[in-house]
Amino acid sequence: MRSTYRVLAMLVALGVVLQAAFIAFAWFTVINDVDSGALTFTGEDDQYNAGHLLHSIGGMLIPALSLALLIVSFFAKIPGGIKWAAIVFGVAVLQFVLGVTAYELPAVGLLHGMNALALAVVADLAGRRVKSGTSTATAPGRSRTPA
Amino acid sequence: MVAGRGNWRLLTASAATLALVVPLGWLWWASLVPDTYSVMEMGVVDLGGGPAVTGHDVHDGLDASTLTGPRGGAADVEVTLVARADDIDLGDGRAVDGYTLNGTSPGPHIRLTRGDLVEVRLVNESVPDGVTLHWHGVDVPNAEDGVAGVTQNAVMVGEQHVYRWVAEDAGTYWYHSHQVSHEQVRQGLFGTVVVQPRSATSAEIDMLAAIHTYDGRRTVNGQVGESWREAAPGSPVRVRVVNTDNAPLRTWVAGAPYRVAAVDGYDLNQPTEVEDTSVLLTAGGRVDLEFTVPPDGTAARVGTGSADTSLVVGPQGATPASTTEPEAELDLLDYGSPAPLGFALDDVDRRFEYRIGRSPGFLDGMPGLWWTVNGEMFPDVPMYVVREGDVVVMTIRNDSGDVHPMHLHGHDAVVVSRDGEPATGSPLWVDSLNVADGETYEIAFVADNPGIWMDHCHNLPHATEGLLAHLMYEGVTTPYEVGGEVDNSPE
Repeated sequence: MRSTYRVLAMLVALGVVLQAAFIAFAWFTVINDVDSGALTFTGEDDQYNAGHLLHSIGGMLIPALSLALLIVSFFAKIPGGIKWAAIVFGVAVLQFVLGVTAYELPAVGLLHGMNALALAVVADLAGRRVKSGTSTATAPGRSRTPA
Repeated sequence: MVAGRGNWRLLTASAATLALVVPLGWLWWASLVPDTYSVMEMGVVDLGGGPAVTGHDVHDGLDASTLTGPRGGAADVEVTLVARADDIDLGDGRAVDGYTLNGTSPGPHIRLTRGDLVEVRLVNESVPDGVTLHWHGVDVPNAEDGVAGVTQNAVMVGEQHVYRWVAEDAGTYWYHSHQVSHEQVRQGLFGTVVVQPRSATSAEIDMLAAIHTYDGRRTVNGQVGESWREAAPGSPVRVRVVNTDNAPLRTWVAGAPYRVAAVDGYDLNQPTEVEDTSVLLTAGGRVDLEFTVPPDGTAARVGTGSADTSLVVGPQGATPASTTEPEAELDLLDYGSPAPLGFALDDVDRRFEYRIGRSPGFLDGMPGLWWTVNGEMFPDVPMYVVREGDVVVMTIRNDSGDVHPMHLHGHDAVVVSRDGEPATGSPLWVDSLNVADGETYEIAFVADNPGIWMDHCHNLPHATEGLLAHLMYEGVTTPYEVGGEVDNSPE
């Protein structure tokens, strides 16, 4: 459970890095396509390229990973683990909401970009709880009442 | 036995997990749509303040499949259209993968005279998902409407289907497949229809400009680049511009003043001449532009919103007008002069709302950001119930962050107001209405064509994302189902 927690937290942080990469790729592709005349903005499906597609898949996977992290945290007995997993989940949900809202209010995209960094940072901090907690929660069953 | 701390912890952890997972799982489960269903069972009944429907069932009685055009009698015009999965030649040496009708895309142009009985035999030679033909803008009887799973089954490979209807109204229309339409239309399964008035008062040059984007390349009548139509100086011209794409576009005439003579097949009343002005043409919509070839020997140019692709009309070797898009845009709500509507707007039988929004959630089990109608996601979209003869006012409000070209099948609606401002120009009758983000339109129509009609966004991928509803006549039922053995998929 503890290593699952750590892996999930790191996957969320890594996911944020990939999301940044995908969206940069997406929009440079758009600029390039417009310059070369291959894109004329005539319909939804023409605007979206592989970068956008990957970003929208990532946009669903990261909240799912954050949810899994929170669930794992309930069982993993990591000091502060639930709190940090809840923070990661909350920031991930906020990130989704900001992304959704930005379609209507593009300026919210600025917050979406900044909140992405916050998500990577809190996910990284959550992942580090496992290491720092090693000395305090040692033997499994230490707190168990003998049957 | 007293449960230990560890057990309590495990219980609490499990309870917390369930508290997270169960609501999500419920939302997911509740969003699932059966593989096969009738549109009559979908949606939220909306009576629009009109009388409740008699009997316990909204839909018992008239079978929509019997609402056909004339079955007997010789047709005035007979057309056979063979649908194939095929390469499309765009005239620039590059072919794209797509679908054709009789070997071409756009498919054959169908020209009729008002009152003609037309018979179209659709043959599917090789389109794997099956095909149908929807007569966009023509108020055909319901069974001829060509919507897979609602008014017929998709025509599978090796099968055929006959459409028969009478061209009641002159105007510019088009036809396209309404089976997996978001793919099939984009990939070429469409064509144009023009119904001429009986007394020919038409312009000397009367031509189509069907605009379509294949694989990112905009075309006019299937050709990339500048298309030429030779015309003598001073000739009167009518260009019927048809937007077969998913997004609105701007069209205009450069090098000559022009008039918007008709919108969606309806002649405007006393349209005035405009210059250096474009007109917005929504997805699925049509405008007829009238102008005179410049007498000075130059050529006029019809713009399509793309600098590379346009239609030039003028004498051979003439210098065509510039490709620059005008900055001014014509507002059709105060263009032309008012005229009687033919029905009273102060005696409305039903008022409906069609509020378009966007919300995160599950659509048939898929998490994502989906369109909503009146706050609900598909399949909980409205089922607008009307009775034949009702005067209906529908308020379409768009707060979804994106533009939506709304298309009502089988009816023409007149635009009453936009954002509370009444329309003051010529009556503007539409079947395809551009509703930009933040806009509210009031439209009115007379329920005069019984059946079950789609009322959806003609940015066709949006319809697959849940932006559709149905207009249902009291007591009308359909034997067809979405899904089923032939996998009817109208969107």
